[in-house]
Amino acid sequence: MKTGIIDYGAGNLCSVFNAVERVGGEPTVVTTPEGILDCDRLILPGVGAAAEAVARLAERGMVDALEEAVRTNGRPMLGICLGMQLLAETLHEFGVNRGLAWMAGEVVDLRTLIEPGFRVPHMGWNQVMVTDVAEDLFYGIRGKREFYFAHSYTLRTTVEPSIAAMTDHGRALVAAVQFDTVLGTQFHPEKSQVNGEKLLENFLDWTP
Amino acid sequence: MLTRRLIPSMLLKQGRLVKGVRFRDHRDAGYPPTTARAHSHQGADELILLDIDASKTGQEPDFKTVREVASECSMPVTFGGGVRSIEDARACMDAGIDKICLTTTALDDPALITRLAQIFGSQAVVLGVDVADGSCLYDHRSDSTIADPRPIDWIREGVDRGAGEIRLMAVNREGSRSGMELDLLVEVLDAVSVPVILEGGAGTLEHLEEALHAGADGVAVGTMLVFSDNNLVKVKRHLAGSDCDMRL
Repeated sequence: MKTGIIDYGAGNLCSVFNAVERVGGEPTVVTTPEGILDCDRLILPGVGAAAEAVARLAERGMVDALEEAVRTNGRPMLGICLGMQLLAETLHEFGVNRGLAWMAGEVVDLRTLIEPGFRVPHMGWNQVMVTDVAEDLFYGIRGKREFYFAHSYTLRTTVEPSIAAMTDHGRALVAAVQFDTVLGTQFHPEKSQVNGEKLLENFLDWTP
Repeated sequence: MLTRRLIPSMLLKQGRLVKGVRFRDHRDAGYPPTTARAHSHQGADELILLDIDASKTGQEPDFKTVREVASECSMPVTFGGGVRSIEDARACMDAGIDKICLTTTALDDPALITRLAQIFGSQAVVLGVDVADGSCLYDHRSDSTIADPRPIDWIREGVDRGAGEIRLMAVNREGSRSGMELDLLVEVLDAVSVPVILEGGAGTLEHLEEALHAGADGVAVGTMLVFSDNNLVKVKRHLAGSDCDMRL
């Protein structure tokens, strides 16, 4: 079971790699479209600017490869932080850009959305409320389901069934999405100690 | 609800951890990876690692130790000390670091804040602010205070340039256990809307409690964990019991 961590020059792959290894997975860093198609499951990490990330994926031929592997062949994929936001149709960050458009929704600046007095970036550990659709993926995470967040933009979607978890910071925010063979988390499971490790373990066992 | 963060702060010097008083008189404080592992297991909310040699002498950061420390941490790690370029920052990220803290290198080259924020995002850029006597910036390389800009103006500028978090260090309180710099903290919280982490002077659990009640998003602690019988679990329990929103 090869878990491909997609390297498109968008930052810290090291923590994702280490975390997958810690929970008994077989991580491999993939840098090419062929590499993507060769994996059993995929993780799309990402920090930084959204538009640049989409451009980098596209120029490496990775957008088509991801669509084939995940949307056509049904390989499970986990998008983390920016890797989740890229799934949306529209990205409002330094202008308006198009995302992968795998789900209806847009990514907007948190400051335009939340009550005054709440700090941006939304940084630190926050509790998530898991919806019924995603209980399988959060199975075994007991007590307060706290995960580490670090983001200035947030995903808004009107497709309620795809919302897997919500959190609260000046208003209700999407913390995770799940549809078809895709899981996306706004928080960082690879940085969320035991809760994050359990979620990664569940993702590696996930048969959507 | 977003919880407040308790953040162990580790000073790195020639491959070892040290701890001092007012940026001087450093005593040995252990082997970095072992200490990082203990903090990770005890539920540290984050970790700060500062290479005080790299900052002072102009050499590049100790990437080997950085990598070893990061690999022990299942929580985010902030690194500071000697990060002068995109290449330095990228090497830190490749070693497993999540956030870069710029202090003196940002004073030397304020545009560096923006360059890093554009590539790695604001959430990955922390502006470190060393303050002496609560009123002026301090440059540890020359052991001198800086008359201009004032700390509050520098912090505003740093946030405008793209910093996503402030680490406020009260230099003359470091290692003194005399209490934290609350007046300036409140002024900074009013001036900017990014999270603010306060460090320097915590000697008792009540000092931490005061800082969190005053609005700090997190507190960073060094001496208190190194040279006392406190540990993270005990500190967090106390704070949670004193109406501070902590993750237990």
